[in-house]
Amino acid sequence: MAEIPAARPVATNSEQLLDPDFLARLEQLEIVSRKIHASRQKGERKSKRKGESAEFADYRNYVVGDDLRHIDWNIYARLDRLFLKLFLEEEDLNVSIILDVSGSMAHGKPQKGLYAKRVAAAMAYIGLCNYDRVNLCAYNDRVADFRQGMRGRRMMPQIVKFLEEMPIEGKSHFAAAARQFALRQRQKGVVLILSDFMDKGGFEAGFRYLIGRNMDIYILQILSPEEVNPELAGDLKLVDCEDEDIAEVTISKPLLDKYKANLQAYCESIRSFCTRRGASYYLAITDHPFEALVLNYLRQRGLVR
Amino acid sequence: MSFLTWPAALMAASISLPLLLLLYFLKLRRVERTISSTLLWKKAVQDLQVNAPFQRLRKNILLLLQFLLLAAVLLAIAGPVTNFIRQPERNVVLLIDQSASMKTTEPDGRTRIEHAQEAARDFIENLNSGSKAMVVAFSDRAEVICTFSNDKRRLQERIDSIVPNDGRSRIGEALQLAVAYSSSFMETGGTGGDFNPESLQIADIELFSDGRISDAADEFVTRAKMIHHVIGQATDNVGITAFDVRREIDRPGVISVFAQVQNFGSKEVTLDASMFLDDKLKDVQQITLGPNRDATSRPSSGDDAAVSGRNVLFEPFDHDAGGVLSVKLSRKDDFMVDNIVTGPIDPPRSIRILVVCDDRETAYMLERVFRDALEINDVTLMAAASYDNASEEEIAVEGRSAFDLVVIANHDTNRLLPGNYLFFGGIPQIDSLSVDGEIDENFFVTWREGHPLLRYVALDNVYTIKWKRLKLPLHAARLVDGEDSTAMALITDPGHRYVVVAFDLLESNFRMQPAFPIFIQNTVDYLSGGAVTDASKLIVPGDTFSVPTPPGAQTMTVVRPDGTEEEIDVNERHTVTFGKTRQVGPYLAKFDDEASTVETYCANILDATESTIRPNMALSMAGEAIESVSGDVEVNEPLWPWAVGLALVLLLVEWWIYNRRVMI
Repeated sequence: MAEIPAARPVATNSEQLLDPDFLARLEQLEIVSRKIHASRQKGERKSKRKGESAEFADYRNYVVGDDLRHIDWNIYARLDRLFLKLFLEEEDLNVSIILDVSGSMAHGKPQKGLYAKRVAAAMAYIGLCNYDRVNLCAYNDRVADFRQGMRGRRMMPQIVKFLEEMPIEGKSHFAAAARQFALRQRQKGVVLILSDFMDKGGFEAGFRYLIGRNMDIYILQILSPEEVNPELAGDLKLVDCEDEDIAEVTISKPLLDKYKANLQAYCESIRSFCTRRGASYYLAITDHPFEALVLNYLRQRGLVR
Repeated sequence: MSFLTWPAALMAASISLPLLLLLYFLKLRRVERTISSTLLWKKAVQDLQVNAPFQRLRKNILLLLQFLLLAAVLLAIAGPVTNFIRQPERNVVLLIDQSASMKTTEPDGRTRIEHAQEAARDFIENLNSGSKAMVVAFSDRAEVICTFSNDKRRLQERIDSIVPNDGRSRIGEALQLAVAYSSSFMETGGTGGDFNPESLQIADIELFSDGRISDAADEFVTRAKMIHHVIGQATDNVGITAFDVRREIDRPGVISVFAQVQNFGSKEVTLDASMFLDDKLKDVQQITLGPNRDATSRPSSGDDAAVSGRNVLFEPFDHDAGGVLSVKLSRKDDFMVDNIVTGPIDPPRSIRILVVCDDRETAYMLERVFRDALEINDVTLMAAASYDNASEEEIAVEGRSAFDLVVIANHDTNRLLPGNYLFFGGIPQIDSLSVDGEIDENFFVTWREGHPLLRYVALDNVYTIKWKRLKLPLHAARLVDGEDSTAMALITDPGHRYVVVAFDLLESNFRMQPAFPIFIQNTVDYLSGGAVTDASKLIVPGDTFSVPTPPGAQTMTVVRPDGTEEEIDVNERHTVTFGKTRQVGPYLAKFDDEASTVETYCANILDATESTIRPNMALSMAGEAIESVSGDVEVNEPLWPWAVGLALVLLLVEWWIYNRRVMI
């Protein structure tokens, strides 16, 4: 019986995760939420509420108890009536990044886990730069680690450290992890899920927990080239790295064709499931440069701008 | 369908079938490979399995196919055949007739020898694999084509190499060969131990022939079973069975040609017989021949078939030179070899006779015969003593006798220059011949009527008082025999021919019989060959001819009828003998002497037995009927190629299925 290979060593410094040039370009970007979420803290994003930003919103009649500072004295001088000047409120955005660190992510060349961590780091940096509240959640068969409410660029080293030290191992159970996440993250916001979704428990149940929270969900499925185009031949005993499940196969063209068709159908089922529920789905193959993914692909698809 | 070698297949099966099962039960050793998830792989495999028809079969279809493939191969090994003819393991000798009659064209366009070869090949094919066979081809001589072998391929190849020649069918030598080879083969191949020749069973003999065998009545088969495979169906043939060319002795410039034409078919035929001299047409005679009387009934034996024939005498013509005369029949029939005969004619020359005799009565009688009956004027008389002491100039020319024939009466001599001699009551003093007293016999018991010397010589009423008991050399031809001694013999030595008559002419009534001048004429014809065509120049195919060497010749070149040449060194030999005369037609012997001597010899079939091409369904040998089979030999049609083909198809199917690789 084959032993499960030890989780591959992950990046040891932030430069390996993200290089400075790339970081500089990331500063130009911001994460877009299709929904305007109510937040508790002031931030840099428009809120449904009126507040104290510099941007004028409306007038309304003065009622007793209103803050005198907001009375528009020019209008009072002209009309001799008290009107209150209303401004748009600006709030921060909850950006949650759910990262799959199960054993299957340790596979692939380039490694899916590292790729996912880089994307996570990049998205977190974008969030931090825009004063969004960034939450990082790593899971395998449960939530392995969860960092909440990180704001400001100074948090970046912490995030890098968090990602670097996060081991990639264990079985994956998305549904259980999503449930735990939903229980702990009560605030609405953008949720980005990075996973290969090679989960024998299925993905639908997990999504339902998140959608139930009315979160703005983005899904990035990360697959390795070996998974898309398996270069296998002969009579093989395929061992699942997570649960040591065995499939004895004799590779043939019909079998490969069937595998590819199944993979496509699986990805398509995730995509259609997401689309019907207002979530966005992206597919990333790890041999595509992840910088291009973040700077071009996600931008074109509207996750960042 | 039956099987020739099923024990071999059984053995192969007992090994290969368990081996295949064993191999199948050995699990496939798969290479282990760790992947991120088996989720999609399992699903793909399941999907394929669901899509594949015959779920249950599929699981073991490769094994099933392998079993079928193996079964097909085993079937091929078992040697399946249809039309099964089982032959016991035995040793056979195949005698294949290659005589002239086997050149007959059958109604299907193939020659008779091809039919015989096919029948023999089929026979070989049917032989049990443990059987051994030997092939002998025979015409007037027999030839071992292939010694005992169980290699069917080789035997069949050798059978195909047989070509027919123009010889007669004579089975005697072939039978001797068959007996000799199979006896020695059994001796060496047997178990050893007690060898008892009486109990020795020689190999079975299978004769492939049309059954027209000239010596069938004289030969017999001992200790062996003989089966005659009757080959051929064709019957239509008109052939020349006798032929003679003569110069008239008194008018040597005039040539008469005689031919006997016989119809062996069952229909009346009209045809032209044309005579050519050196390929120039001289005369044409139209003849009508009635159907062969026996054509519709079965003849009892090979050489007594009565036929309807006619003698044709062509218009005599003047011709003073030599040449080759031929008679051709205009008709196309199934057997063409006997439709043409050729005969050489020599330029006429006057005959010189020397009579050596001390006895005046005998001398007078011989002289009268030569001068009056044969009209030969150049007759010299000489006493015995003066002959023995005669100078070279008197009796010799260029080292040879100056006379065409020397007749010596009642005198033994050793003065024997190369030439022709007729002895009455005396003998030539040569090593191999001697006299052992005298014998009191009064009449002759047998004589060879067919021999040129005794043609038309009736010896029924000839009596003698006594004759000398001759001790003859082995190669002497005995012409006339008494009860236990020879009265007349022909001895042919290099450069010499002696006709020895063992009695004194005066002690016999031979000289008073009409047969006597005929005998003298035959002797002059045969020995001197001057005034008439030399009888020794007409041969049957396969015979040898001896050519006297002209002085000064170094080599002789023989041009065969088909144009091929053969050079023979004749240096210091008086005569040259040539034996490769298997084809009919003229053989030219050319010498490189000053005169560029050319001697022509002609081989002709002239044999009614050979010309009777209708197959003899009831061959009997020495009066004993031989079992005969006719028609096509049933052949074991081999089916193994089909089995191999099936195995190949199964292999392809298995390969295809394996490449689909639907198996987990």
